[in-house]
Amino acid sequence: MRGLYLAIVRKRDHLLFVLSLFFSSFLLLNNDDPRMRVIRGKTTDIVAFISSPMTWVKSLMFLEEENQLLREKTLSLSLQIESMLNLHKENDQLLGMLDFKRQTKLFLKPARVVNKGIQPNLLSIVIDVGAEDGIKGNQPVLTPKGVIGKTIETGESASIVQLITDVNFRLSVRILPSGATGILRWLGNGIGQVREVQKNVEITIGNKVITSGFSDIYPAGLPVGEVAGVFDERGSFQKIVNINLPNDMSAFQYVFVIVENSYEMD
Amino acid sequence: MKWTELVIPGLFIWLIQLLIADFLAIETIRPDFVAILVLYWAVKYGRTVGTLSGFLMGLLIDLSGTASFFGLSPMIYSITGYLGGYLMGTYSRLNPLYFSISWIAILTLQFMIFCVVQYQDIWVTNPQLFFGKWIGTTLYTLSFVGILQVIYPFHKIT
Repeated sequence: MRGLYLAIVRKRDHLLFVLSLFFSSFLLLNNDDPRMRVIRGKTTDIVAFISSPMTWVKSLMFLEEENQLLREKTLSLSLQIESMLNLHKENDQLLGMLDFKRQTKLFLKPARVVNKGIQPNLLSIVIDVGAEDGIKGNQPVLTPKGVIGKTIETGESASIVQLITDVNFRLSVRILPSGATGILRWLGNGIGQVREVQKNVEITIGNKVITSGFSDIYPAGLPVGEVAGVFDERGSFQKIVNINLPNDMSAFQYVFVIVENSYEMD
Repeated sequence: MKWTELVIPGLFIWLIQLLIADFLAIETIRPDFVAILVLYWAVKYGRTVGTLSGFLMGLLIDLSGTASFFGLSPMIYSITGYLGGYLMGTYSRLNPLYFSISWIAILTLQFMIFCVVQYQDIWVTNPQLFFGKWIGTTLYTLSFVGILQVIYPFHKIT
């Protein structure tokens, strides 16, 4: 017994290393454990609290620049509204003619990015809304430019968001106007790649890409990006489509979480 | 060794990584100050402290807002701590070039394991991008270790 004890003491560094590898592997294999989710939710609240002063400083730094951009955006949007009002009238008339009415309701919760993760690569962010605000896991997160990720873990007042830049992130998308569908994954440098696209569809550069609605998480029609390149491999039954993702991952500070969506058809 | 020698720098570097590292980001790549700290601790205090501190710092990092692969950081920092511990007191015995190659290799291995797990998908679909991520992340952190070698080199603590 004493011999065993002495051996453990003598080889404690190796033993500790094996134990740490064992516990790390155990954690890796139990990512979805509910107890783990509770702990991660609580710590996310603490991280959000600690990060909040720095977020405030960051907001002040970008305030003037943001103000200028917003003024330009306001002008541009007011011009667009004029055009859209006319289009809306026309659309109402056409819908009436087809005897078809569709209402889409999305309940958006605005949130501020309090931390952009801690890992050496930008794969996740922490936002300042949580369970108290009606946030749950697997809710879509977007900016006015398009989809940016989904919630993974929620604390009382903060949540972790898995970003589209995480290569493990997948999104079912539709390419307009052809209607072709495929699965989007991040490729790097603001580019996403849509695979499993039918070969016989017509896709050109500049086509809009939106969410397909096939997923339980993302409602149909959310903007995702636009086509940047189409690759048609000989001998393959599918096309590969590269798309430009509109969000600048290093610059956004505010996001929206879709807390509820409903479709009513009558 | 007092426990405050580990806790205070540990918390300080965690806060730096949490609050400041984002300012130093190049596109989506950021320096990994925690890996540097664990390597310094390992070279100074040896394998046992290196492994244990690596595991605990990794756990703290993963609890600070990691979306996927919870548990990966404790694993990679433990490996860095364990391997870095082998460099304790070896500067006088090893050729300085071999000593430097050793810590560069340890950090490169750490980022390789991180990228293999995190980017396993692009490793298969786009190896060029995978190597870009791996080498980019490694070189960026190594450049900070390089700067630290001028201010506070490893051989001063061994």
